[in-house]
Amino acid sequence: MTGDTHYDLEILAELAEGLLDAATARRVREHLAVCDPCGELLADLAAVREVLAATPTPAMPMGVALRIDKALAAEAESRRGGVGLAETPDWNELMRDTPWERPAVVPEPVRLGAVASSSDSSSDEAAEPARLGVVSDDGTIVPATSRTIRRRRWAMPAVAAAAAAAVVVGTAVAATNLLVAGGDGGASVAPPAIAQPTQTPQPTVTTQPQRGKGYPVGYTVTSSDHNYSDPELRTRLGDFLAPAPILGDFSEADQVAKCVTAVSGRSKLRVFAVDQGQYNGQEALVVASWKQRAAKKVRIDVVDPFNCKNLRKPALGRW
Amino acid sequence: MNSPPETPSAAERPAVTDAELLTAHINGDPHAFSEIVKRHRDRMWAVALRTLGDPDEAADAVQDAFVSAYRKAATFRGEAAVTTWLHRIVVNACLDRMRRKSVRPVADDELIEAAERESPLPDQTLEREVSMEVSAALKMLPADQRAALVLVDMMGYSVEDAAQVLQVPSGTVKSRCARGRAKLAPILSHLRNRSDLNRVSSAKGDRTS
Repeated sequence: MTGDTHYDLEILAELAEGLLDAATARRVREHLAVCDPCGELLADLAAVREVLAATPTPAMPMGVALRIDKALAAEAESRRGGVGLAETPDWNELMRDTPWERPAVVPEPVRLGAVASSSDSSSDEAAEPARLGVVSDDGTIVPATSRTIRRRRWAMPAVAAAAAAAVVVGTAVAATNLLVAGGDGGASVAPPAIAQPTQTPQPTVTTQPQRGKGYPVGYTVTSSDHNYSDPELRTRLGDFLAPAPILGDFSEADQVAKCVTAVSGRSKLRVFAVDQGQYNGQEALVVASWKQRAAKKVRIDVVDPFNCKNLRKPALGRW
Repeated sequence: MNSPPETPSAAERPAVTDAELLTAHINGDPHAFSEIVKRHRDRMWAVALRTLGDPDEAADAVQDAFVSAYRKAATFRGEAAVTTWLHRIVVNACLDRMRRKSVRPVADDELIEAAERESPLPDQTLEREVSMEVSAALKMLPADQRAALVLVDMMGYSVEDAAQVLQVPSGTVKSRCARGRAKLAPILSHLRNRSDLNRVSSAKGDRTS
């Protein structure tokens, strides 16, 4: 039983697992003693176990953990008088169906070109219902849903995210102005997918946490919630990073500012756009800095929003 | 964020057992179940992520599983460990998902492509590389073989424990593992001689097999 006849991987794997009957096992072992190629195969099999064992198993991302807590809290609430989690009322949930919380159905996500072109007021307003925001103390319009978006990060399907993105158009104008003013001025692309409610009092963004602290100013913060992959990050990013401008709440904006400072400190480049999304399923900030503005070349850093560490090697991209 | 979900060492072993927590939950303690979740979520996440190979799917599966465990806590019978019971619910949620829609083939290409093209950061080079290749390779296996290999080879459970989770005889687990390894061997063999392989840290259960 030497020489010609070799055994296939499956037989060898069964041998290793002790699944062969005694007689067959003995035959295979005798063969292995003299056959190098089969010995190699056996080593490959052992390597599979080793490689699988060595593969790291990451901890559950914070977003998933929060989402599960929420689902369980909802479950507890739904059982009347049964087991319930003691919790403060979830206002986002309670207010969800009020008119100002309900995003209208929008056919496609807002694109940079669309948002930018609306800042010159000549944009035609298609049949677009005026969108409502909440008027804050200083008279600015704050999109009512931004908090909701953040909280439901993981649960939100792409279409809903796009719709929600449209709701926050009020601030989008202000945020985009920043980009246009400091940008290449050539934001001319794409027909306006969504017209702006022109009567909306021009919101002024007064709550820029990065100002006055010596942080770099003049970047837009968006929250597309998009799950980026490497192939996507090699495509033109202007299309990706622009769609959903919002400013997060204070703590988040601070966190973003911290990471922006960290990234620009590492790269010595000017950051001009940040998107809060995911990278291969993990929460991430996609930070774009100008490498060569004329050529629309950007450096893309993908960092962990919590510790600002790079999640992958910084890469060149196109805007 | 990436701290491994270790079984607590004897020193820090919690005073309250899982079974006690589950009983408390059934008796109306509003915090007991979240404590169970807190203890086991990393491990459940790892199982789901490796079995499904897709973070979104894994998140859905784990959520479904925990909600379902919450609901049917009363049907838990003390003969199995709470962890085994939870694993069973998670694995079944994953298998259900895989059966309902065969997992997207696009993701494979992306993973392989990404693994080939990216030279990752020095500090996580190996982890990421290995992790991507393994994910891609696992997806080529039939669901039952994948589930068995995830539990036994990746998570480090004994064949007997895996058999309890999967509710099949030990021999079936062994043969699924054997067939799965036979299919993976040609794909993963090039990782074989990485001297630093065994230094990669990871979150594993106690190896008892």
